[in-house]
Amino acid sequence: MLNPQSNKGKYILEINNITVQYNENSPCVKDFSLTMKSGEIVSIVGESGSGKTTVIRSLLGALPEGGRVEEGDIVFEGESLLDKSPEEWRKLRGTKISMIFQDSGAMINPIRKIGSQFVEYIRTHENILKKDAWQKGVIMLEKMRLPNGENIMNSYPFQLSGGMRQRVGIAMAMVFQPKLLLADEPTSALDVTTQAQIVRQMVELREVHNTGIIIVTHNLGVASYMSDKIVVMQSGKVVETGNKEEIIYNPKHTYTKKLLEAVPKLEGKRYV
Amino acid sequence: MSEEAILEARYLTRKFKTADSRVLTAVDNVNLKIYKGKTLGIVGESGCGKSTLMRMLVQLDTPTEGQIIYRGKDITDSKGKSLRENHRRIQMVFQDPMASFNPRMKVLDIISEPLLNYKLIKKNERKNIAKKYLKMVDLPEEFMDKYPQNMSGGQRQRVGIARALTLEPEVILCDEATCSLDVSVQDHIIKLLVKLQREKDIAMAFICHDVALVQSLAHKLAIMYLGNIVELISGDKINKEAKHPYTKALIGSIFDIGVDQNTQIETIESEAPSPLDLPQGCSFQNRCPHCKEICTIKKPELSKLKGEHYVACHLYG
Ligand SMILES: Nc1ncnc2c1ncn2[C@@H]1O[C@H](COP(=O)(O)OP(=O)(O)OP(=O)(O)O)[C@@H](O)[C@H]1O
Ligand SMILES: [Mg+2]
Repeated sequence: MLNPQSNKGKYILEINNITVQYNENSPCVKDFSLTMKSGEIVSIVGESGSGKTTVIRSLLGALPEGGRVEEGDIVFEGESLLDKSPEEWRKLRGTKISMIFQDSGAMINPIRKIGSQFVEYIRTHENILKKDAWQKGVIMLEKMRLPNGENIMNSYPFQLSGGMRQRVGIAMAMVFQPKLLLADEPTSALDVTTQAQIVRQMVELREVHNTGIIIVTHNLGVASYMSDKIVVMQSGKVVETGNKEEIIYNPKHTYTKKLLEAVPKLEGKRYV
Repeated sequence: MSEEAILEARYLTRKFKTADSRVLTAVDNVNLKIYKGKTLGIVGESGCGKSTLMRMLVQLDTPTEGQIIYRGKDITDSKGKSLRENHRRIQMVFQDPMASFNPRMKVLDIISEPLLNYKLIKKNERKNIAKKYLKMVDLPEEFMDKYPQNMSGGQRQRVGIARALTLEPEVILCDEATCSLDVSVQDHIIKLLVKLQREKDIAMAFICHDVALVQSLAHKLAIMYLGNIVELISGDKINKEAKHPYTKALIGSIFDIGVDQNTQIETIESEAPSPLDLPQGCSFQNRCPHCKEICTIKKPELSKLKGEHYVACHLYG
């Protein structure tokens, strides 16, 4: 494939039976497993509070305070992530594994111009001159179909629409061409036309750079459109995993069926 | 059938000054009415002014021009006691309630605080209230001892909804209030809101990106684009009778559950212009497949097409 050097194992990511817990609460993710080949797109869908965010934050070593992986292992490119030191994590984050959030705008400092934040971000991972980092930023923005990258670099976040900010977030996440992109509800805050653009952009990342993507979404249409594999979660457990044919057209688990039935449709039910 | 408008925006405009002293018009001369027992759905691009409009209606923000009318009375400049009374009657639910929660307060306090503030309950009634409202939004009662930062996004959203309901407001304005919920819980919340609306004749505005969802509960829909309402249509007609090219693009961009990657999702490629740099004429012109000369010269006004259906587009007028 596009990516010959990473042939250590069959998978770029193997999550083996992890259990995650916050403080002394009972585990909120139990026995979660997932394997991913490079360039695969996986969606995690399911119940609110079922542990979706917790799972993908575990992959980034970025659980909120008090959260920890208690059991199981996470293997990325053949190496266990859980053995990594905080320093090693920092190096991985943003370079090999990166993440985009529901509102990347919220992550970006509102009172600093995009350019200075972008340059700073690049320079924490790569020892290059400011002007080279700036140029790199501009190129990334234009690759993400943001016309006139210079102009964007000179803007404040509030001068951009939510969709444009989200693309800036993706551009930052993609600078170092990560093998794995994690996206937690990346389109929940966007209107549908922008959502469609962002979804296409993510599919393109896979096509062009062979980036593996894990996306958490409540939009089963989006999950169905992009994914090779869909994982359905309820109360901390995976209730069903499968490809689109299996999950969307032949769901087995009652919870999956319940979810599918609740998807709002344009010609669907009206309550008023 | 006569309908009673409870809350009304008249010629409402909100301009912001940017750091470099340019002017951004977030809401541009908007007129709308929210009726007793009815829901107005509001759909539009992120950043098109929906939230600013809502914030003015609940008086968290002050309009640059225009009025807010509540039960026939101009409340635009109300202060002190009457403002406090308005806040009690008109409640807003935010997309990310975290910003309005005090992180040091437990869910118990978050939910019961408004009632205590208005002295509508005694301190020892808090637990029962919290129990009742947590149950309504489908959260276990143990959640009353949690802190908001220790909950998932969707759980926090439901606490925000519970809190707004406690005051039994006359008007509820929901700003993307269910976007972080799975579709099954979302359906539960929608049914709850519809039920409360029927029982108590609540007037509602519901901002939502999901056209399919919002049409399921809205009597009327307002489509907004860059600070203006571009179409006003009955909820049940949106699918078949929508006219504005932007509304049609919204409908075309929905990911139907059966789609695969070979399906062309019909969306608009280009970006909306910056609200700081709006073109002369129609603000949708650069993305519109039907743009004519007049569209680059004159801004179309919202005008009646037929019955309750209004559209702001030169193709229809
Ligand atoms: N920082 C924290 N401390 C303690 N418990 C937490 C914390 N964050 C989340 N939880 C709990 O862990 C469980 C899983 O939360 P998580 O955020 O992973 O859910 P989710 O599937 O992403 O939900 P949503 O769809 O609502 O975003 C929830 O029950 C939540 O209350
Ligand atoms: Mg989450």
